[in-house]
Amino acid sequence: MDIQLKRGLLEVCVLAAIKNRDSYGYQIVKDIKPCVEISESTLYPILRRLEAAELLTVRSVEHSGRLRKYYHITPAGLERIRAFQEEWKEILAIYQFITREDDSNE
Amino acid sequence: MNKQGFLAVLRQQLQGLPESDIEKSLEYYSESIDDRMEEGMTEEEAVADMEPPAEIARQIFMDMPLPKVVKAKARPSRPLRAGEIVLLVVGSPIWAPLALAAILVFLAIYITIWALVVTFYAVDLSFAATSLFCLAQAGISLFTRGPIQMAYFGGSALFLFGAAVLLFFAFNALSARLIQLSRNFMQWAKSHFVRKEEIV
Repeated sequence: MDIQLKRGLLEVCVLAAIKNRDSYGYQIVKDIKPCVEISESTLYPILRRLEAAELLTVRSVEHSGRLRKYYHITPAGLERIRAFQEEWKEILAIYQFITREDDSNE
Repeated sequence: MNKQGFLAVLRQQLQGLPESDIEKSLEYYSESIDDRMEEGMTEEEAVADMEPPAEIARQIFMDMPLPKVVKAKARPSRPLRAGEIVLLVVGSPIWAPLALAAILVFLAIYITIWALVVTFYAVDLSFAATSLFCLAQAGISLFTRGPIQMAYFGGSALFLFGAAVLLFFAFNALSARLIQLSRNFMQWAKSHFVRKEEIV
């Protein structure tokens, strides 16, 4: 898959992983892995990018005697997911057009 | 390798970055290892489950703006010896112009890509402006010249306007390609700095 495309998709995947409840690094990796292959070294720059873009916020929570960073989605982050869904409708329409062309050629 | 050893190697790989960036990264990976151990892995297993520190560092560098990468990589990892400083100074008439040339070539390529984008829209704007001018001429012809001239200018105005609209969409698509190209070029330039470190 195109690297830029995958990068964009992963960003939305990460936002979707924290959409319903706050989550932390390892948990996010485990949640996304069944769908897309992702490692923590890929996730880390994405989290930093999303934080810089204010699509998520980070807070440290005490957890069994140590600190764990939890990621929380912002309204802008939710908006990003919505925008992605809108965009994807267009892409789906194009995909359907392309596959229909395929059928008629056969 | 245990957790301390892993983090020490990672710190070494990230050398040159601002201390706050290094701390943040180490915290994140230390936390990842702790989370694995909490799920029942031993310390060794958790560390083995992580990616190699060199790969982690590469990902971090590739995601940074180019100037930051260059700054981090240009910083020597240990204090320079007197002999090396002398060599740097004596060699500066050779390496300084070469380094400057490399930077300027890079800048030139970057500016060229963006200048093309600007040119596209300048061409499009001139089409639109000429179309307006022809429209005005057509209006004037109505009173001064005659119907043939009016038709000529009116037709030209329509043609130019149509061309401007079509070109606008074509240029939009082309610009998107070029911007993508400039982004890839930036990544390529960055990969040079990052990869070099790995071989050393």
